[in-house]
Amino acid sequence: MTIQRDITAHIVAEYLPGTPASELDPSYDLLETGVISSLDLLRFIEWLGDRYDIPFADLEISPDDFRSVAAIEKAVQRFAGVTAPE
Amino acid sequence: MGPPVLDRWGAMSRSLAEDVLARAKHSPDEPALLFGGAGDRVVTYAELVATANRIGAQLADRYPDLRRPLALQSAKSPAAIATVLACMHAGRPLLLASTEIGRGLLADLVERSGCQAVLGIADEGLTHGPGAADPHAAPVLPPDTSLLLTTSGSTGTPKLVPLGAHGIDAFVSWAGSAFALGTGTRVLNFAPLNFDLTLLDIWATLRHGGCVIPVDHDRYVDPRRLLGLLASTRPHVVQAVPMFFRLLTEAGDGSAFPEVRELLLTGDHVPRSVRAGLSRLFPAARMHNVYGCTETNDSMIHTFGAAEAADRDVLPLGSPLPGVLAEVLLADGEVLRGAGTGELVVSTPFQTSGYLGETGAKDRFTVRGGRTWYRTGDVVTRSAVGELALVGRTDSQVKVRGVRINLEEIEQVLQAHEGVTEAAVVAVPHPVSGRALHAFVRPSDDAVTGLRLRSYCAAKVNRAAIPAAFHLMTDPLPIGPTGKVSRRLLLEKIE
Repeated sequence: MTIQRDITAHIVAEYLPGTPASELDPSYDLLETGVISSLDLLRFIEWLGDRYDIPFADLEISPDDFRSVAAIEKAVQRFAGVTAPE
Repeated sequence: MGPPVLDRWGAMSRSLAEDVLARAKHSPDEPALLFGGAGDRVVTYAELVATANRIGAQLADRYPDLRRPLALQSAKSPAAIATVLACMHAGRPLLLASTEIGRGLLADLVERSGCQAVLGIADEGLTHGPGAADPHAAPVLPPDTSLLLTTSGSTGTPKLVPLGAHGIDAFVSWAGSAFALGTGTRVLNFAPLNFDLTLLDIWATLRHGGCVIPVDHDRYVDPRRLLGLLASTRPHVVQAVPMFFRLLTEAGDGSAFPEVRELLLTGDHVPRSVRAGLSRLFPAARMHNVYGCTETNDSMIHTFGAAEAADRDVLPLGSPLPGVLAEVLLADGEVLRGAGTGELVVSTPFQTSGYLGETGAKDRFTVRGGRTWYRTGDVVTRSAVGELALVGRTDSQVKVRGVRINLEEIEQVLQAHEGVTEAAVVAVPHPVSGRALHAFVRPSDDAVTGLRLRSYCAAKVNRAAIPAAFHLMTDPLPIGPTGKVSRRLLLEKIE
């Protein structure tokens, strides 16, 4: 639950200023609705990688991994503990 | 640059597609497509043409009527490119639909153009979606129509732009000689399949026997991956919009691509800060500022080097392409002589004969001196030495991430929402996307939230046209001196 809350808080603060966090449903499609545009996605992934120590640049990821708060939470859980190949 | 490479069949060729098909006979093993990424995938001319023939046979079987168009909505893949080729070869008009539009918008385009079906690609095979309910309600296409493109309209009404086979042939011939495209030339294609830019980076390349490197830009949101792709595929020619170059120069990891000999900047201004970084990334490239639009294709080009890239605030539009005429019209419709400011009008050998079934937009095309001219909607200035430079749009159109968007059209969509009393949209400069849209909405209903409006817009407009921010207002929107909502006063509300 804390990952979800953390991600929701970041998305609301960065991309939806003025929106109460409680309004953002975990299943809300962030990409289709342009909350996170294709250009923002890079910046978001960078934040997520830093926050949870995940080397996304070296992983096979797809935009679907970042489609909603729920999907992002799953991606974080899936990749947590992965380290960058030397 | 050496002399233009003439292609062996050029003089006798009847059409682009036949030239590509001839390659499959004469140089079957030459690469036609190179998909980069994990395990680079090469598609040879023999393979591409075999796929096109297979798809062409299926289409002939299922859609014997060659006069009514088909639509294709697909990301880039060998089968998608082969499908376009098959339709070009059969003389079958094909509507190229954006993958960024929703079902409602697609259905509207299909209806207005009388498409027989919407083709898609799954597992390298065709899928067939429903066509127009009443195909005979659509206007008859101009007889030479090869492709139907759409203007990057932001809402439910993108205009349909029929492009004739002869105009396309003339354009790809020019591109082939201007950029010395030939066997062994690798050309990066960043734009989606439905963009006019593909006439150069995909179709001129294939026509002249080169190799296209299609980039699925959804998969390349990370500039480090883009740099990796450039490093593994080593293109000679790169055409892209300002955003692409900005991502690359900002990533700036010290890598350089000396193989790139032609760099085409198109779609909008490329800021000097970005241009200044290009010569480090592409030390051997000639750079070109290319101006064009879907209706007329490329019209003007300015070629420049590293010093000019770094020093000039605004690049000129340059010289008209061969056969292109460009003039500047004053507000009273008179042609500007000498220095001054006005709207750019062009007449090109590649242009459409007019929008399909748009009676309301006829004034964009005017006949003067025996030629059809297109009013670009772009304001330009001509300097004392005769150089043209872009100033902006004549109306409320702005570009967001390279997509042309009309603010009033998005306002109309928002105002059509039943919980909305009034709405206005303004554009503010944004360092990455060019412009960011802000919507000011006064709801009549407590249930209206920014997120709900966003979902509502996502179903109706192109993704780039969804406002970045929704401001819900309790008071009426500010009114300017003309009695209309004042965008200027709204802009002041945004810090």
